[in-house]
Formats: sequence, structure tokens, C-alpha cells
Amino acid sequence: MSVPAITIKNLTKRFTNPSVFSRGGIVAVDDLSLTVEAGHVYGLLGPNGSGKSTTMKIVLGLVTPTSGRTFIFDKDSRDVESREAVGFLPENPYFYKFLTGEETLHFYGKLCGLRGAALAARARELLALAGLEDAAHRRVGGYSKGMLQRIGLAQALVQEPRLLVLDEPTAGVDPAGSRQIRDLIVSLKQRGITVLLCSHLLSQVQEICDRIGIMHRGRLIREGPLEEMIAIENQTELVVENATPELLADLKARVAAAGARVVGEARPQQNLERYFLDVTRDARDE
Amino acid sequence: MTADPAIHAAAHKLFSFTRVWAIAANTFRDLVRQKVFYFMLVFALILIGASLALASINSRGQLQTVIDVSLGAMGVFSILLAVLATAMLLPKDIEDRTLYTILAKPVARFEYLAGKLLGVVGILALAIVLMAGVFCIVLWYWRGREIAAIPFYYDPAEAAQRIELVRSGTFTPSLFGGVFVVLLRSIVCAALTLMISCFATSWLFTVIVSFAAVIIGHLVAIARNVWQNPASFGVDPPWYMDGFLRLVTVAFPDMQIFNIVDEIALGTNVAPAIFATIAGLSAGYIAVYLLVGYVFFIWREL
Repeated sequence: MSVPAITIKNLTKRFTNPSVFSRGGIVAVDDLSLTVEAGHVYGLLGPNGSGKSTTMKIVLGLVTPTSGRTFIFDKDSRDVESREAVGFLPENPYFYKFLTGEETLHFYGKLCGLRGAALAARARELLALAGLEDAAHRRVGGYSKGMLQRIGLAQALVQEPRLLVLDEPTAGVDPAGSRQIRDLIVSLKQRGITVLLCSHLLSQVQEICDRIGIMHRGRLIREGPLEEMIAIENQTELVVENATPELLADLKARVAAAGARVVGEARPQQNLERYFLDVTRDARDE
Repeated sequence: MTADPAIHAAAHKLFSFTRVWAIAANTFRDLVRQKVFYFMLVFALILIGASLALASINSRGQLQTVIDVSLGAMGVFSILLAVLATAMLLPKDIEDRTLYTILAKPVARFEYLAGKLLGVVGILALAIVLMAGVFCIVLWYWRGREIAAIPFYYDPAEAAQRIELVRSGTFTPSLFGGVFVVLLRSIVCAALTLMISCFATSWLFTVIVSFAAVIIGHLVAIARNVWQNPASFGVDPPWYMDGFLRLVTVAFPDMQIFNIVDEIALGTNVAPAIFATIAGLSAGYIAVYLLVGYVFFIWREL
């Protein structure tokens, strides 16, 4: 059995009240235990203030837990060494405005011990992957929101991490950019990279995640494989193409004869995102 | 996208100068691109203005006054630059969340702080070299005027002796040692400011507390003397005053060790051993502030 990418054991984080005159504090994470298996795309969901970002920060060693422990590939995440295997994209990232896109990747690459020709090649490869080749020599201060998100993803990938932690990676990005990022996550998954994803875009989470955990007020209230969690156990969906009214009537009769029940009947619809992307692509091609 | 075997080759080192250097170079570049060197114009104007004013006073003290004004201005500008440039580094990285992306890489917090300080040291060194360059040009001009002012009726041997006296007494090793002490003082101020910014919650708080600490630092020698030898001052401090004097002595840098610059400005030749002592004490202050800052930074919730 492979080593889990993330192991969280009985994690609690209590933030003390900044005012010295008031007592108590805020419990951001409450006795959380969780395992993210290697190679999975794991969606950590929850409303604002549910403790997702704090959990991520503790896993990345940015925040010290009040109690409990977290591990990245069996290495204590308090150890700097554990971050060798991690790439992180924070929500709404900003980078040094005076650096160009290429310089930004060089900077983060050097922090990971890359240098020389290997670093230059890696930066070019990631700029191409992020679709930022034309903006490689422009200062990051002039990048759009979507470009910032993509350069953020590129810097997260600079050292070929085995685990990618993404906090709202498509926040504020247009549908085409959002689709690019999602496709990139899928391709990373195919290459065996584990992804921990925090997002409020549930349709996107549903498309790409193998497993999800739902947090509420610092506690993990549901956790498991996505398909099992959202499937309706006693129902089956059948999509038929070119069905005649006679065939549909026949099917319904057979269903009734077998003691089952047709719960609904509708024409499948493509989703709005797919429709939007098709329309904008057609307009661009004209 | 293919994995490069070089990428995962090296084992993690607890301290990597490459990482520190990457952060230092980035900090240096950030400060340069923020045009912090505009203050150089002010410095040059002060020196040129002071030089013009000197033309109207007694020529005997002109060279010494140029040295005095220049070293004084370099001291003030270098402390201003050290405190203001350092104070913004950490809050800016936290506000922009660039700190998250840096510390989420295999970068220890100590490496981050050391890199930031090294970047500021680079800026301070460059600024002081530039200021010293302007200073040397102005001083060279005034030395030429002083030599030209030697009366022609001196006999050639005496005139040559006087010229040699002016030449050898202007660009002395002590003068450049004084510039080095100005640099050391500014680095100590930068390290102190970085330490304060590790627990401060705002840029303004860091700036105010840092300047206050620098000012109090000029009183440390007095506080230490009163604490260690109250009888010679004719006082018997109560316990709380004794505690306060101890606190001031231990917690604040003794800025008077850098007052040797004032002696140099007055024309005193200083032995190399004194410069070495000041360098050693400065290194001690810098190391302590970096370590204490690191402890605060570890505790800090990001």
C-alpha cells in the first residue's frame, strides 16, 4: 500500500482572541482526522469560515496547530523538508509585481534548488503549460486575474511536486481560463500527482474529484468517494439516442411490468459552461 | 511535461545559501525597482549646498567641515534607508501573500529572514558606496582648492611640505574606516528593524519603535554606567529604576560605539583594532537580532 499524500491526525486549531481583555478564542479546526491517498484529487469543501484554509495552512507548515499532527508523504509537515514534495497556490495570489513571469518562475525554482539550464528549461516548459509564453517577459504587475492564477499554478509546479494544494484555483477566472485550469488538474492526476483542492465551484469539484470531505465549523461532517456520496442508490439513469415514441412507450410498459417506476423523463442538456465555450470559440474562429 | 531528473536529485539541506541568496537578490531588486535611490539626489544637493556655503567661511576649516557634513549626512540617510526599507519587507510579503508561496516551498523561516536582511545589506552597501563616491568627488574638489590657496611666497620645499600635508591628511584610512562604520551602524539598524517587524502588526508600528530603539540606543552607555556604578553618579536607584536600567542596557543596541565617526570627522586617526572591535560588536548585535526575530517569526501566525 502506498504512503498517503496527506495524513491529518486529531488536528485542532484554536486562534486566541487578539484582545487581551477578552477571553476565549475561535476554534477554526476541531479534532480533524483525514487521509488523502496518493494519486487522488481530493476536494475539501465547506462554507466560508469552516476551517478549510486553516487546515491547508497547517498542512503546509504556515500555521502551528494547537494539537494534533499532519504529515505529507509520512513526513511531519512542521519539517521544512516535507515541502520538497508540495506545490501550493493560495487564493487570489499576488507575486512580486516588479518581476516578469519568467523571473517569477526562476525565483521560485531557485528556492527549490533548481539552477542553470535545468531551471531555464523548466521555466519555459511551465510558461508554455500555463499559456503564458507571450507574457513571459512582461511584469507580473500588469497581469490579468486569470494570468496571475496561471503563473501561480506554474510556480506551484516548478519543482515537479508529488502533491499540489490549490485554494480556489479558478476564483475570478473567466470560463475559458477556468476550463484550462481544470484540464490541467485532470492531466496532473493522470500523471499520478495528488491534488488537494478547495473550491466553492461545486460543479467543478464534482467533475474532477475522486473523493471529497465537507467541513462545517471546523469539523469534518462528511467524507468519502464522491460517486458514492452523491449517487441515489435505488435509481438508474438511462440515456437513449434516437428513441421513437413507440420505443419509449414500450420501455415504460416493461418498467411497470417489472414492478419498477419511471421517476422522470427529460431531454439531457449540455451544461452552460460547455455552451459558452463553444459559442465564444465559434465567434473567435469567424 | 516530463520530469527532469535534476529536479529531485539533491537532498534537502537544513540551511542553503542558494535559497538565502535567491531571496536576497529578489529583495535587492525589489528595493532598487522601488526607486529608493531617489534619496541620493537629496544627499548630493546637501553636499553641494554645504560646499557652496563653505566658500564664504574661513578656508582653514573647509576640508574638515566637508568631512563632518558628509559623514553626518551619510549616517542620517543610511539609518533612514535601513529602517524604512526594512520595515516594509515583511508586512508587504504578508499582505500580498507572497510569503505563503515562499514558505510553502522548502524554505526555512530563518533562511527567509537571512535573505531579506542580506538584500537590505546589499542596498545599504550600494547606497553608501554611491554616497561615498559623491563625498569623495566633493572632498577632492575642496582639497584642490585648499592646495591652490597655499600662498605662492612660501619657499618651494615648505610649499611641497604643506601640499603633502593636505594630500595625506584628506583621504586617510581612518576616513574610509569611518564610512565602513556608517555601513555597520546602518546594518545593525536594519537587523533591529527586521526583528521588530517579526512581531509588529503594522509598518508604522515597526518604523516608530525602530527609530525609538535607535534613539534609546544612544543612551545605553549612560544607562549602563549608572546601573553598574551608581555611586559615581551620586544616586541610589530604587529596584524598579535598577531594573529599567538593566533592561535598557540589555535590550537596546549601544549606538555610542559608532560615535567613532564623529571623532574621525574631527580629524582623529583611529587604530585598525578599534574598527575590528566595532565590526565584532556589530556582528554580535546582528546575530542576536536575527535569532530573536526568528523566534518571534516562528511563533507568528501567518
